[in-house]
Amino acid sequence: MNLKDYIESGIIESYVMGLATESERAEFERLCAQYPELVAARRKFEESIEASAKEQALPTPPEVKVKIFEAIGKSAPSSLGSTSSNPPKIHTMENSKSPARGPGMLRFAAAAAVILLIGMVWLYFQAKQQNQDLVKENDGLKIQRDTAQNILNRIVQEQKQAIGDPNTTVVNMVGTKSAPKSSANVYWDSASSSVYLVVKNMPQLPNDQQYQLWALIDGKPNDLGVFDATNEKLILKMKNTKKAQAFAITIEKRGGSPSPTLEKMQSMGKATQTQ
Amino acid sequence: MLALKERNNQAFGFLYDNYAGALYSIIKQIITDNNELASDVLQEVFINIWRKIETYDQTKGRLFTWMLNIARNASIDMLRSKGYQNSQKNQELPDNVYKGGVSQTTQQNVDNIGLKKVLEKLKPEHRVLVELAYFKGFTHEEIADMMSIPLGTVKTRIRNALLQLREYLK
Repeated sequence: MNLKDYIESGIIESYVMGLATESERAEFERLCAQYPELVAARRKFEESIEASAKEQALPTPPEVKVKIFEAIGKSAPSSLGSTSSNPPKIHTMENSKSPARGPGMLRFAAAAAVILLIGMVWLYFQAKQQNQDLVKENDGLKIQRDTAQNILNRIVQEQKQAIGDPNTTVVNMVGTKSAPKSSANVYWDSASSSVYLVVKNMPQLPNDQQYQLWALIDGKPNDLGVFDATNEKLILKMKNTKKAQAFAITIEKRGGSPSPTLEKMQSMGKATQTQ
Repeated sequence: MLALKERNNQAFGFLYDNYAGALYSIIKQIITDNNELASDVLQEVFINIWRKIETYDQTKGRLFTWMLNIARNASIDMLRSKGYQNSQKNQELPDNVYKGGVSQTTQQNVDNIGLKKVLEKLKPEHRVLVELAYFKGFTHEEIADMMSIPLGTVKTRIRNALLQLREYLK
């Protein structure tokens, strides 16, 4: 397509003046996104129309502005050059019992009303915001129910945003020989020391037993809390740890043990920090 | 622009002061014979601008173009409304019986204002098409029917007329 011919076809003028058909409009807008020259030519014509229209401006009926501002629920702001909306103040002797306070009070009341209005609008938006937040939260819970992983990623994301670059380490816990299918992810945020556990697949345990997560620090296991594997896709906030070279999951009696039963180790993963 | 989108009162007042006259001019070029309805349309146009300001898309054109098209569309809608048709019947009364006063001074010959003045310079066969399309709001198809000329010709003539118009506006 020859752009110059297109520009000279009268399409710009048709478009700007609202005489182009729907398909002509769509094509024109598409080409505008592509060719800055076309936008420049359109702009030029728009400016000349605007200049001409302003030159030909007619005085408007003064009551229209007042009516418009009434209709949109605000008082018309006084305008430069318009005398009608800003009448001069006249103090007569009759109404000057309290000459300073009369109009002053009125202005004060008007100001108070405006402030009150602003306050109410603010409250309204606060409430709206709160409502939106609740709706969002609700949606979040629905997502959590569906895909635990997603929400966890979001938590990690949020924390990353909040703390900057917290170096969240994702530790993939792989099953041991005694439980080859066990798998879980540990999300360890070394900046805030937070530990989240995503249980992907951990076999169901008898009622008197629970899984226990351990952080291995300098060869010593530290308890990070117990959990059940009742729900497959579960995110758990575990106890915080500042240090950890590895994480391990063992099966312990309900409530956990002070030290791990290593022969019941289900899965393990190294926390390799790339700091 | 941001201030406008936030419905800033002051900005809207500024907008009115700056553009109402220009838009009123275009409204009166379409509603040529009834000041009262023309000022109703002006009022409606600005209320619409206020309500729809979020839908204004800068990439599609200047703010004035957007407002001008709102004004033109509202005027043409009014032209076709029942209320306007009825008011036409009342026009048989002498104008100043119910209009009276200040507005009479603005009731100048509308053929001498704005785009219409520029249109005067066009060839008659071109002028009438722009008149019908732009000021009366007829589609190209309707015009082709009315004037019994092919649609393609209507389109070409209007395009040519607009190109000439562009030259006159420079």
